[in-house]
Amino acid sequence: MTFEHVLGLTVSGLTVGMIYALIALGYTMVYGVLQLINFAHGEVFTVGGYIAATTLIYSGVDASTPLMAKIGYFALALIISIVLTSFLGWLIERIAYRPLRKQSRITALLSAIGMSIVLQNLLVIIFGPEPVIMPTAIVPTGFVEVMGVRIRYLQIIIIGTSLLLMGILAWIVKGTRMGKAMRATSQDMEAAEMMGIETNLTISFTFIVGSALASIGGFLVAMYYGSLQYDTGFLYGLKAFTAAVLGGIGNIYGAVVGSLILGLAENWGVGLSLGLLAWLFVFGLVIGLYIQVVRAPGQRVGHIADEFRTPEYERLVRRQYQFTPVVAVKTLLSERTDALVHLSAKHAMRLMAGNIMLAAFAIVFFMNSEVQFASKWQHVISFGVLMAILMFRPSGILGDNIQEKV
Amino acid sequence: MAVRERIGNMFRRAPRWTFIVTALALALIFPLLEQYGIIETLWLRLGTRTLVYVLLAVGLNLVLGETGLLHLGYVAFFAVGAYTTAILSSPRLGYHWNFWVIIALAMFLSMLFGFLIGMPTLRLRGDYLAIVTLAFGEITRMTFNNWEPVTNGPGGIPGIYPPNLFGWVVDKPGEFFYLLLAAVIVVVWLLNNLKASRIGRAWNALREDEIASHHSGVRPMQAKLLAVVLSSGVAGLAGAIFAYYQQFINPTYFLFMQSTIVVCMVVLGGMGSIPGAIMGAVVLDTTPELIRQTFTKWLPNAVGQDFLPGFQTALQQDFDRYRMLIFGIAIVLMVIFRPEGLLPNKLWRRQSHTEDPREQANTRQHLFDVEEGTQDLEA
Repeated sequence: MTFEHVLGLTVSGLTVGMIYALIALGYTMVYGVLQLINFAHGEVFTVGGYIAATTLIYSGVDASTPLMAKIGYFALALIISIVLTSFLGWLIERIAYRPLRKQSRITALLSAIGMSIVLQNLLVIIFGPEPVIMPTAIVPTGFVEVMGVRIRYLQIIIIGTSLLLMGILAWIVKGTRMGKAMRATSQDMEAAEMMGIETNLTISFTFIVGSALASIGGFLVAMYYGSLQYDTGFLYGLKAFTAAVLGGIGNIYGAVVGSLILGLAENWGVGLSLGLLAWLFVFGLVIGLYIQVVRAPGQRVGHIADEFRTPEYERLVRRQYQFTPVVAVKTLLSERTDALVHLSAKHAMRLMAGNIMLAAFAIVFFMNSEVQFASKWQHVISFGVLMAILMFRPSGILGDNIQEKV
Repeated sequence: MAVRERIGNMFRRAPRWTFIVTALALALIFPLLEQYGIIETLWLRLGTRTLVYVLLAVGLNLVLGETGLLHLGYVAFFAVGAYTTAILSSPRLGYHWNFWVIIALAMFLSMLFGFLIGMPTLRLRGDYLAIVTLAFGEITRMTFNNWEPVTNGPGGIPGIYPPNLFGWVVDKPGEFFYLLLAAVIVVVWLLNNLKASRIGRAWNALREDEIASHHSGVRPMQAKLLAVVLSSGVAGLAGAIFAYYQQFINPTYFLFMQSTIVVCMVVLGGMGSIPGAIMGAVVLDTTPELIRQTFTKWLPNAVGQDFLPGFQTALQQDFDRYRMLIFGIAIVLMVIFRPEGLLPNKLWRRQSHTEDPREQANTRQHLFDVEEGTQDLEA
C-alpha cells in the first residue's frame, strides 16, 4: 500500500469521474428544466459510443494509417456521433416526454423507462448482443510518468476533453441568450413562457446539449475500455444519476463535484485496504460532529435578535441546538410537548444514529484493516452511495433543499 | 360500431361473478388439457410462469396502482423468497426444511426487507423513490451474485427438492399450476378485501393527493409502509414457489428487467385494478409466445415452410429482445394514449370517461368519504 498506489487509483478515479460528469450533466440539466429523470439517458450514451465505434470500424483505420488521417477519422466519428445522438435525444423528448408534460411525474418516468427498454433492445437487434470493439489503432497507447505513477495519454485526453466541454457548457448556460432561457425555464416554466421565451425550443435544446455530452462520454468510454456493450449504458446511466444526486440534482457544478467524488469512491473503495478506508469514515465523523456541535448551534446563536442577546440566552440556544443524545432525550422527556420540540429531538436522534453508524463502520474497518474488497463489489459501492444519499440528504451536497412540488 | 358497442355493453352489464367463475373454470381445466394431450407441455409451462407473474403483478399493483408509489426493485423481494427456499431446501448447504416453514420464512424475510427498505425511503418523492428501490434491487441481486459461500454466486443453486404438502409431493408442472392457482386465489381474495376496507381507501387517497389525505386523517408513512410490506410478502411467496418449480435459481432470474416487466403488466392492465393486473400479466406473458408460435410454426405449417424465413430465424434468435421491445413500446403507448389501462378500476373509468368537471370533482370527493364513527383517527 504505497503512495504511488493511492495516486494511481486517484488518477483513474478522476478519469472515470470525468466521464460520469459528462453523463450526469445531461441528467441534471433535464431535471433542472423539467423535473424529470431522463431514464433513457444511459441508452443515449451507449448509442453515442456505438455510432462512433462503428464509424471508426467502417473507416478501416489501422496501425499503418498516418497520424493526421487518424485525427481526421477521429473528428469525423465524433461529429457523426454527436449529430446523430443529439437528434436521438430530441426525438425521445418529442415522442415520449412532450405529450406527458402536463401529466403526473410518475407517468413521465414510466414513459422514460419504456423508452430506455426500447432503445436498449433496438441496439441489440441492430448491432447484435456482442460488444462493439473499438479499433485499437485509434487509441493512443503512450504514458507519462509522474511521481512514479504511469498516467496514460488517454487519461489526460479524457480529463482534458471533459474539462473543455464543461467550460463550454458553463459559457452556454451563463453567457448566452439560450442559457438564460434555460435558466428561466427551469425556475418557472409558465412565467418564462409569458416573458416570451420559447420553452419548447429551450427544452429541446437542453435535450440536444445533454445528448451531445453523453455521446462524447460514450466515445471516451469505448476508447478507455476498448469495447462497449449494449447494457453498459444502464450501469453508467445509473452511476451518473447517482453522481448528479450526490452533487445536488439540477445543479451543474454539483454534477461535476458529485461525479468526481463517486469516481474516487469507487476506485478507492476496491483498491485500498479497509484500514485506509476507515480514515475516510473518521474524517466524515469529525466533519459531521463539527457541524452538529459547533457550526449549526453557532448559526442559531447568530439568529438571535439583538435586544434578546445575553450570554445566558446564547448558552441556552447553543445547548438547545447541540445535537447530542442527552439533549434529545431531555427534550423528549421535558414538559414542553409542542411539535417543534419533538421535531428537533427527532432530528437530533437521527443525527446521532448517523454518527454511531459512521463510528461503527470505522471501528469494524480498523479491526479488519488488512482486508480489501474484491473488485466485484465496485458497483455495490456506488449503489450503496446512491441509497445512502437519497435516504439521508436527498438534496445532495450543493443542492438547495428540495421542496415538495404539489 | 354498433356491434362493438353492443358487445361492450354485454360485457359491462354482465355480473362480476360470471367473469370470475369463467376464469376459474378455464384455469382449472387448463392442466387437464395437457394431461389428455390436447396442448403441448410448453403451454402448461408458460401458463405456470404466467401465474407467477400474476402473483407479482397483483402484489406490485398494491404499491404502484393502489398507493401510487413507483417501485422499481420489486424483483428483489422475489429474489429473497426464492433464495430462502433454495438455501433451505437443497443439497447446497444440506438443509431440507418443511414446505410450510419455508413459505412462512420466505414471506417473513421479504416483508422484513420491505420494512427495512421502506422505513427510510418512503419519505421520498415518487421519482426518487423509484431510483432508491431500483438501487436496492440491484444491490440485492449483486449481493446474491457475489456472496459465493452461501449462494454459489453466478453458478446458482441447483437441485431444489420438490415441496411436500402433507404427503402430496408437488413435482409436475400441472401440480405446480394448481399450487400457484391456490396462492393466486388466496392473495387476490385477501387484497381485494383489503382494498375495500378503510386502509384500502387510505391508499387510494394517498395516491390521489398525499397532503389532502394527510389532513383528512390518513397517516401517510404507516399506510405506505403497510402497502410496501404486504406487497413484499406477496413477492416473497411468489419467489418461494417459483424456486420450487424451477428447481434451480441463479442471479440472472432477478435482473432489473424483471422488475420493469412487472411494472409494464400493472400499467398495461390498469393501475389500481386487480383484474387489470391479472389481465396485464396474462396478456404480456402469453402474447410474445403466441406471436413466436404463429410465425415459426403455425403459419409456416399452413402456408408453407418458406414463409418469411429471415423473420423466423430472427424471432428464434432474438426472441427475448423482440419481447422486451414490444413491452417498451407498449408502456410508452399506454401512458400516452390510454393511461387508465386495459381494465381500469371504477374510479379511473369514471374520471376518464366524463367531460364534466363537476363529475370529476365528485369522484375525487368520493375518496375522502369517511365512515361514521371513524373520525378519531389520530389517537
